[in-house]
Amino acid sequence: MLAFELLLQGLVQGSIYALIAVGLTLVYGLLRILHVAHAGLFTLGGYIGVLVTNATGSLALALLIAMPAMGLFGIAIYRTCYQPLLGRPPYVALIASIGLFIMMEELFRLIFGPYGLSYVAPPLQDPVGILGVNLKQAELAAMVGAVVLIGGLAFLAGRTRIGTASRATVTDPKMAEAFGVNIARIRDINFFVGSALAASAGVIVALLNNLVEPTMGSVPSYKALAIIVLGGLGDLRGTLIAALALGVIESFGTIYLGSFLDRDAIAFAFLIAVLMIRPQGLFGKA
Amino acid sequence: MLKLENLKCGYGAFTAVHGLSLEIPQGEIFALVGANGAGKTSTIMTIAGQVELQGGSISFDGRDISNLPARERVTAGIALAPEGRRLFADMSVEENLTMGGYSRPRAAEAEMREMVLATFPRLKERIHQRSGSLSGGEQQMLAIGRALMADPKLLMIDEVSLGLMPKIVDVCYDAIQQLKKRGITILLVEQNTQRALAVADQVCVLESGRSVWMGSAADAREDPKLIEAYLGLAG
Ligand SMILES: Nc1ncnc2c1ncn2[C@@H]1O[C@H](COP(=O)(O)OP(=O)(O)OP(=O)(O)O)[C@@H](O)[C@H]1O
Ligand SMILES: [Mg+2]
Repeated sequence: MLAFELLLQGLVQGSIYALIAVGLTLVYGLLRILHVAHAGLFTLGGYIGVLVTNATGSLALALLIAMPAMGLFGIAIYRTCYQPLLGRPPYVALIASIGLFIMMEELFRLIFGPYGLSYVAPPLQDPVGILGVNLKQAELAAMVGAVVLIGGLAFLAGRTRIGTASRATVTDPKMAEAFGVNIARIRDINFFVGSALAASAGVIVALLNNLVEPTMGSVPSYKALAIIVLGGLGDLRGTLIAALALGVIESFGTIYLGSFLDRDAIAFAFLIAVLMIRPQGLFGKA
Repeated sequence: MLKLENLKCGYGAFTAVHGLSLEIPQGEIFALVGANGAGKTSTIMTIAGQVELQGGSISFDGRDISNLPARERVTAGIALAPEGRRLFADMSVEENLTMGGYSRPRAAEAEMREMVLATFPRLKERIHQRSGSLSGGEQQMLAIGRALMADPKLLMIDEVSLGLMPKIVDVCYDAIQQLKKRGITILLVEQNTQRALAVADQVCVLESGRSVWMGSAADAREDPKLIEAYLGLAG
């Protein structure tokens, strides 16, 4: 029973990692940029979630506002921060991204205060039983939300013309363009979708911890980087599996290794172990 | 149909083609031949809008397209089967064809696909296969098929026969002749001069980015030494 409970807890955590990491992997696949500032959108999504919920009492409305707002913010980041640097070596954009992330964290501190915000009446806190294990509604919502959102994304990417065009752009942007794909639009769409997913993760994490604070993006930010490396950089399916695997491994690890290894260190022990055996990541091509 | 006037193109400070002028009438096959590094691919990719035009002009269908972005050139009717094929390797044959027709209304896709699969029945058998795992010949058919999906007025094929078995080369050239019958104008780049001359109406021999001979393919067929002299050992 403990094992099943740990598995569920791990999948909850993994779902959140997945929602964050998917955006990173989309951006990496398209532009070969490590979009560190992505985690800033996750945090801001959390703030919007708490503020709107507290103001209106509706979590659904909060999501409906936070996701498209962060989607548009993501497009704005691409256009102002990355697009002008596309011709430069990738580390230039990486440095810009780190700078932007630090700036965002400091702005959160200035605007929302250093101590963080909480839900006045946190929604979805009642327990639900799943095969004898009790989860919070919010935890269940995290899993269901991730399945629905990422399932929707998989459908979009795999079964629609614009999704096909997006994958073609990842493989060979020049050829995609030669057949009529508007590359600029594909980039906008990817930033929008990835950022909206990160915002949903922010709202969910705020719900699980009943807290948003300026630095809540830091740990997820470097874990998501580890996840996309494990997933084979730019590979959507690999990223998903790596995210869920990391969630589950952390969940078991805190019980069995917790006495000598911090939870957040497990991700990197796992990363190092995998890269020693498969330098291209779990699912990357050699 | 296509007219290049004093076309110069290259890569940054480097100029690969120094002033090429040619004209391809509607419905003809034009072959561009020449040694490695002569500038054939650069020329084709400049027409497609992928290599920097450094001087001169390109007009297509009576319209100056010199400054048109690449993705609007395919809408204008220029499609490309590029050097190295450059298929979307992770995608199925079907998805590659879908991408080929991306610039056309979705409603036209099914009809174009019928036509392409009738031209290359081999692709039909492999429609769900990952294109990266096709044989070299099948990849070339798919590269041509993908370009045809764009319903082009001008089809440009770079290195038709390179690395292919003679039987597959036959399939490709049969297709090219069929396409000509349907009124499509074709610009070929070919290492195998004999093959190119057999189907072409006009030929241009490029050397170090300059045209050294241009004329009717019929003349060149009659006097094989003519072109060989210009091609040197490369022919
Ligand atoms: N991406 C590039 N950057 C810089 N120079 C290039 C590039 N591509 C080609 N060149 C140069 O441009 C010149 C013409 O090359 P191009 O590829 O057009 O020749 P080609 O006739 O197609 O040759 P091949 O028969 O080998 O395909 C060559 O000197 C080549 O080195
Ligand atoms: Mg070439």
